[in-house]
Amino acid sequence: MIKEPNFTGKRIGVYICQCGSNISDYVDVEKVREEISRGKGVSLAKITMFACADSAQKEIVADIQNEPLDAIVVASCSPKLHLNTFRGVAERGGLNPYNYVQVNIREQDSWAHSDKPAQATLKAIHLIRAGIAKVSLSEPLTPMTIPAENSVAIVGAGVAGMRAAIELADLGVNVHLIEREHFVGGRVAQWGKMSMTNQTGEEIITELYHEVKKRESIRVYTGANIIASKGSIGNFNIQVKIQPRYVEPPCDPESFKKAIEACPVEVDDEFNFNLTKRKAIFFNYRSEFPAMPVVDMAACTRCEECLKYCHGIRLDQQYRIIEIHVGSIFLATGFNPYEPKKGEFGYQEHPNVITFQQLKRLLDLTKGEFRFRGKKIERVAFIYCVGSRQIDGENKYCARYCCTSAIHAAIQLRQELKVPFIYHINKGIRTYGKQEILYEQSSTSGDVYLQFVEDDPPVVEVLNNPIKVTVNDLLTAHMEVTVTTDLVVLITGMVPRVNTELISILKVPLGKDHFYNEIHPKLRPVETMIDGLVIAGCCQGPRNIAESASSALAAVSKVYSILNKGEIKLEPTLAIVNPAACEWCGKCLEACPFDAIERIETEKVPVARIIESNCKGCGMCTPVCPTEAIDIKGYTNPEVRSMIEAMSG
Amino acid sequence: MSDDFRNSSLNELDALVIGGGIAGLESALNLAHMGFHVMIVEKDLSIGGRMIHLSKVFPTLDCSACITTPKVSETARHPNIEILNHSEVKHISRDENGSYRAVIEQRPRYVIDSLCTGCQDCEEACPVVVKDEYQYNLVGRKAAYIPFSIASPRIAAIDLDNCILCGACEKACGPGAIDFTQETRITEITVNSIIVATGFKLFDPDRITRYGGGKLKNVVTAMQMERQLVPTRPFNTVLRPGDGKVPDKIAYVLCAGSRDATVGNPICSQICCMYSIKQAQLILGAVPMADVTIYFLHVRAFGKGFDEFYQQAKMMDVQFIKGKIGRIKELENGDLMLRYEDIASGQVKETQHDMVVLSVGILPNMGIEKLFGDEKFKLDPFNFYNQPNEMTDPFKSNLPGVFIAGTSTGPMDIPDSILSAGAAAAQAAKYMKQHQASISHQATTPL
Amino acid sequence: MEKDPPKILVFSTEKISDPALDLAGLMKLHYPPTVHAVVVPCSSSVRPSWIMHAFECGFAGVFIAADGSDCPYGETCIEKTAKIVERTHVMMREKGIPTENLKMAAVCSVCAELFVNQMRLFAGELADKTTNAT
Ligand SMILES: Cc1cc2nc3c(=O)[nH]c(=O)nc-3n(C[C@H](O)[C@H](O)[C@H](O)COP(=O)(O)OP(=O)(O)OC[C@H]3O[C@@H](n4cnc5c(N)ncnc54)[C@H](O)[C@@H]3O)c2cc1C
Ligand SMILES: Cc1cc2nc3c(=O)[nH]c(=O)nc-3n(C[C@H](O)[C@H](O)[C@H](O)COP(=O)(O)OP(=O)(O)OC[C@H]3O[C@@H](n4cnc5c(N)ncnc54)[C@H](O)[C@@H]3O)c2cc1C
Ligand code: SF4
Ligand code: SF4
Ligand code: SF4
Repeated sequence: MIKEPNFTGKRIGVYICQCGSNISDYVDVEKVREEISRGKGVSLAKITMFACADSAQKEIVADIQNEPLDAIVVASCSPKLHLNTFRGVAERGGLNPYNYVQVNIREQDSWAHSDKPAQATLKAIHLIRAGIAKVSLSEPLTPMTIPAENSVAIVGAGVAGMRAAIELADLGVNVHLIEREHFVGGRVAQWGKMSMTNQTGEEIITELYHEVKKRESIRVYTGANIIASKGSIGNFNIQVKIQPRYVEPPCDPESFKKAIEACPVEVDDEFNFNLTKRKAIFFNYRSEFPAMPVVDMAACTRCEECLKYCHGIRLDQQYRIIEIHVGSIFLATGFNPYEPKKGEFGYQEHPNVITFQQLKRLLDLTKGEFRFRGKKIERVAFIYCVGSRQIDGENKYCARYCCTSAIHAAIQLRQELKVPFIYHINKGIRTYGKQEILYEQSSTSGDVYLQFVEDDPPVVEVLNNPIKVTVNDLLTAHMEVTVTTDLVVLITGMVPRVNTELISILKVPLGKDHFYNEIHPKLRPVETMIDGLVIAGCCQGPRNIAESASSALAAVSKVYSILNKGEIKLEPTLAIVNPAACEWCGKCLEACPFDAIERIETEKVPVARIIESNCKGCGMCTPVCPTEAIDIKGYTNPEVRSMIEAMSG
Repeated sequence: MSDDFRNSSLNELDALVIGGGIAGLESALNLAHMGFHVMIVEKDLSIGGRMIHLSKVFPTLDCSACITTPKVSETARHPNIEILNHSEVKHISRDENGSYRAVIEQRPRYVIDSLCTGCQDCEEACPVVVKDEYQYNLVGRKAAYIPFSIASPRIAAIDLDNCILCGACEKACGPGAIDFTQETRITEITVNSIIVATGFKLFDPDRITRYGGGKLKNVVTAMQMERQLVPTRPFNTVLRPGDGKVPDKIAYVLCAGSRDATVGNPICSQICCMYSIKQAQLILGAVPMADVTIYFLHVRAFGKGFDEFYQQAKMMDVQFIKGKIGRIKELENGDLMLRYEDIASGQVKETQHDMVVLSVGILPNMGIEKLFGDEKFKLDPFNFYNQPNEMTDPFKSNLPGVFIAGTSTGPMDIPDSILSAGAAAAQAAKYMKQHQASISHQATTPL
Repeated sequence: MEKDPPKILVFSTEKISDPALDLAGLMKLHYPPTVHAVVVPCSSSVRPSWIMHAFECGFAGVFIAADGSDCPYGETCIEKTAKIVERTHVMMREKGIPTENLKMAAVCSVCAELFVNQMRLFAGELADKTTNAT
C-alpha cells in the first residue's frame, strides 16, 4: 500500500527525468509517471529526456504559467548538481524558488539499485511522493542579503597566494596576505632554474614580491598564523598571531651581514634541506623578501654578539595578535616535498643518496664543477616516483610535477655541469603535453632510461662505494641491469603541508589524498564546502607553477564574483520560533553554537528570537525544544513528518 | 538572443569570447558573474564544444551532458551574455582608445529561431539523408535537422549544401519557422577585451598508412567510440561499423598521431591515455564479456585521482601492453591483426582483435591569428596560441587585452580547461578595469 | 518469492553524509532498495519524535548518517547527536522497540563504501530478527 501525501490544495507539476538512459534503464519511468499522476494535487506528471536541457527548462516554465502550477517537483539527479538550475526555472515561471523540490532518483536510486530495477521503480515512487508531500507544505522563502566586506585573507604567500593577491588588489579588493614563514615565496624560492621556461625561482619570486609591494591595498604579514576565525561568507573575523622577527629597521645590509657573521650558533639549514648550516640569525638568500634577516629564537642563546653590529636587533620583541575582517578566505598553503623514510632506497644509509629537493638546492648553489661532499660527480642515477603512485601505500596519486622537473634538472646537469652519465630509473615517464619535448631532448642526448614495475622496485646497494643500483629493466625485456653511480637522487613527490591547526579552525574539507578538497573538479573546482572559502595552488593537489598560477587566478574570479556586488544572498533556510508555543526555557540558546538566539519579551512574556544574520540553519536548536516551538524553514516538523509517511508506503 | 539587440546600436560590450566550448562558456560565465557584458561567437549551430558530445568524463565518471548542460543553459540565460551561433569573427582591429572592433558574420540557418519549437516535424518530412557529423558519421541525419538532442539552442537548421529544395520541411513546419530567404548577417561590435577559446582539432588518422590510412572498416577513432558510449548512444550498445557485430576483443592504440615527429606532432596530447582508460571501463559496462587491451608507450595518469583511475581499470581486467603498434592488417572476416613490439618480452608479436580504436591526439586549431591584421597575434612552436609569460601570467597572449583559454593554448583536459577559463577571465576583468580607468582618465585630463 | 528486505529510514545530512550516499550511487555500489533517505541540515537536528514517527509508520530500522567530526557546524555535533540517540532510546524502550533498531555512525562525504556496508549489515540484522520472531 502506498500512502498518499495530504492534499493541501496546491497545484503541483512533477517532472521525471530519464537522464538520457541513466535513470530510465533501471527505473520504469512510465510506471512511475502513471502512479504519481494519480496523486492528489498533482496537476501534471511528465517524463523528460534531460530535465536540465534548455528545451525542457523552457517547457517547465511554460507549464507553470499555462496550467498554472503552484509548485514543482523534479525527480532527476542529485540536488547537489541541479538544485539551483531548477530553482531558477521555478523563478522564471513566476514561482518562489522554494516551491520547488528536487528528488534524487539517480544517485540514490537508479544507480544504487541498478541490480534491482523493480524495487528501484518502487523506491522512485516513494521518493517522489515524499517530494510532493514536502512541496505541498512548503512556504515561499526569500533569501536574506547581507553586506559583504570587500576584502580577502590570502593564506600562504607562495606563487599561488602572491599571484592571486596582485590580481585581487587590481580588481579593487583589499588583500591581507598572511604568510607563516618569515619570508615570502613558498617552495618556488628554493628551486633555482625551473621547467618549462628556465626562469629561476628567485627571479619569479622577486618579480611577484615587487608587484605585491607596489600595491597599497595589499598588506603582507610574515611570521603570521591564523589562530581563530568566526563568522561566515561575507563577514569573517579572523585573529592573526604575528611572531616577532626580532629585527627591525633601521639597519643597513652591511651591518646585517656582520651581525650574521658574528653569531656563534650554527644549526641545520632547512631551506637547503639540511645540506648546509646556517646561523641563529639568518636569511635564506641575499635578495629574499622581506629583505631583513630573522632571529630563530629556538636556536638563539641570547649571547647578544649580533647586537654589537646592528642596532635593529630586538631580542625582546613580543608577538602581536591582530584582528581582520574579510569577506572571503583564500587558502594557498602549498605542499611539502615527500621526505623518504630511513632506508627507503638507501636514504640516510648512504650520504650520497639524496632527495630531489636537495639536488635542486645543490644545483642552485653550484658554481662551476658539480661536486658533492668534496668529490666530483660524474654519474647520477634518478629513482622516480619515490613517495608517489604507491598502489598499496599511503600516497596513491602521481605527483605530476616530478617527471618533467627531474628531466629538466638532468638536462641542466648534462648541459651546464657536463655530467656525462645520467640514469633515469622510472616507472613510466609522464611528461604530459608540451613537456614531452624535454623527454625527447634528454633521451636523445645520451641519458639512459630504465624502467621498473611496481612490485619489483630497484635495489640500492649502499654497503660498497660507489653505490650500485640494480633494476629489472622492462625496456630490455626484463634484463637485470646494474648501474654504478656516484649519486642517487630520489625523485620525491608532494604531500600536503602539515597544517592541522588551520584545517581545524577553518574546517577545511580534505580529500582521500589528504589535500584540500574542492566541491567538484569540473563544476566548482576552486570552492570548498565552506561558503566563501576557496583553495588554489598545491594545497589542493600536485601542480607545477603555471598550473598553480592558473588555479589561483581562477579562484580570483570566484572571490571577485562573490565580493563585487557588496552583498551576498544567504540561504533563507534558517531557524524560526513560534512565539505562541515558546515557553522560554533557554535550552535552544544553550544548544546554538553560533549565538543566534536571544531572549526577548513580547508583552512581558519572555520568548526566544532568532538573530538571522548569525543563524546558520544547522537545526541544533530544534530537537532540544520541549514544546517543538522551533523549526528550520525548509525542514519543518510537518514537512519532515509527512515525508516520512510518504516514504513508508 | 533578442532581435532588438541585433538591430540596435547596442554594439558596445565589455568582452568578446571566441568559441563556445567549455573553456569559452566558463570564461563568459565568470565575466558575467563579475558584472561584465559578454558576447560569445560560436562557429557551430550549438554551444557546448567537444564536451557536450562526450559520454562520461574521467576521473569521476560523471555524465558529461549532466555537467555541460547546466553550464550551457546558465550561459544561454544569463542577462549579461549574448550568444551568436553559426558565426565567425572575420576581422578585428584596434581603435585609438585601445578598444577592439570585431566584424562578425552569422551564416543563416534558414530557420527563424524565435518561431522554431524544436518539434522535429521538418526532420521527419525531409527526404534527404546524409552522414551525421555530430555522431561522427556513425549514423545518418536529414538535411533539415536539429543538430543533436541536447543542443543549445535546440532548434532546427537546414543544411543547404545537401538540401534538394523540395520544400517538404516548409510544409511540415507548423509555426512556419522555415525561411529560405535568410541571408548572412554582419554584426560589428566594440569590446575592451577578447578571450580566444577556439579549442582543438582532432588528429586525422587517415594520415597514418601503418594503421590502414582510414580504409580499415573496423578501425574507429576514439571520438567515434565516445559517441557509442553516450547515454543517448545511437545503437544502445557497442557495434563495430564493418558488419554491426558486437565486438568482444577490442584494442586501443594510444599516441595515434601524438609524440610522433614523423606526422609532425612531437608533443603528447595529454588526454588520450585517460580517455582511453575511461572508455575501456565504459565498454566493460556496456559489453561485460568483452576483452579490452590498451597498447601504450607510457600511461600519463598524472592529475588528481588519475592514477587511482588507472589502477581501477587494471582491477577491472583491462589489459595494458607496453608496445608500439607497427602495423594493422585487415583479415577476411573484418578482424584486425596487430603487429607490435612487445617491450616486456622484447619480441615482435601479432594479436588478433575484432575492433581497433585509435586514440587520436589533439592538434592546434589555428586561424584567429589571421584576424588581427597588422597586429601580430603569436603562435607557439607547436602552433597553439602563445603565452609569453606562461609561469606567472598564464593565458595572457602577446596582445594587450587579448587572453586565451582551454585547449587553444595546448592539450588539456576539462578540469584544466575550466581553471584556465577562470584564470583568463580574472586577467581580462583586471585589464578591463584598468583600461576603463585609463580611458576616463584621458577623457578628463586636458591634453 | 524473495522477501523484501526490511525498510530502513536514513537521516543524511546535506553537506556531509548525503554526498556519500550520492557517491555510493555514482560508484554503482548496491545496498537494499528499501533504504530511503531524508536529508536534514545536520545530524544534531534530527528530532527524537521523527525517529519514533518512522517506527510508527512501519520502518523496521532508523539510521542516522551523522556528520561526526566533519560537521560544518562544529564539534558539538557529535555530543548533541549522541544525546538525541540517548533520548530516543528511552522513548523506544517505553514503546517496547528494541534499541538496536536505531543505529548511528559517522559517514563522511566520501564514505560511500562504509555507508553501503552499514546498510547491508543493518538490513541483515533486522531481517534475522523478523525471521526469528516469526
Ligand atoms: C623539488 C621540486 C622541484 C620543482 N620544480 C618545478 C619546476 O621546475 N617547474 C615548475 O613549474 N614547478 C616545479 N615545482 C612545483 C612548484 O614548487 C609548485 O608548483 C609551487 O611551489 C606551488 O606553489 P604554491 O603557492 O601552491 O605552494 P608553496 O610554494 O608551497 O607555498 C605555500 C606558502 O604557504 C605558506 N603557508 C603554509 N601554511 C600556512 C599557514 N597555515 N599560514 C600561513 N602561511 C602558510 C607556506 O609557508 C608557503 O610560503 C617543483 C616542486 C618540487 C618539490
Ligand atoms: C575522445 C575524447 C574524449 C575525451 N574525454 C574526456 C574526459 O573524459 N575528461 C576530460 O576531462 N576531458 C576529456 N576530453 C578532452 C575535452 O574534450 C577537452 O578538454 C575540452 O573539450 C576542451 O574544451 P575547449 O573549450 O578548450 O575546446 P572545444 O571543446 O574544442 O571547444 C571549442 C569551441 O570553439 C568553437 N570554435 C572553433 N573555432 C572557432 C572560430 N574560429 N570561431 C568561433 N568558434 C570557434 C568550436 O566550434 C567549439 O565549440 C576528451 C577529448 C576527446 C577527443
Ligand atoms: S610525475 Fe613522474 S615521477 Fe612524479 S609521481 Fe608522476 S610518474 Fe612518478
Ligand atoms: S539553526 Fe543553528 S544557528 Fe540557527 S539558531 Fe538554531 S542552533 Fe543556532
Ligand atoms: S523548423 Fe518547424 S518543423 Fe522544424 S523543428 Fe522547427 S518548428 Fe519543427
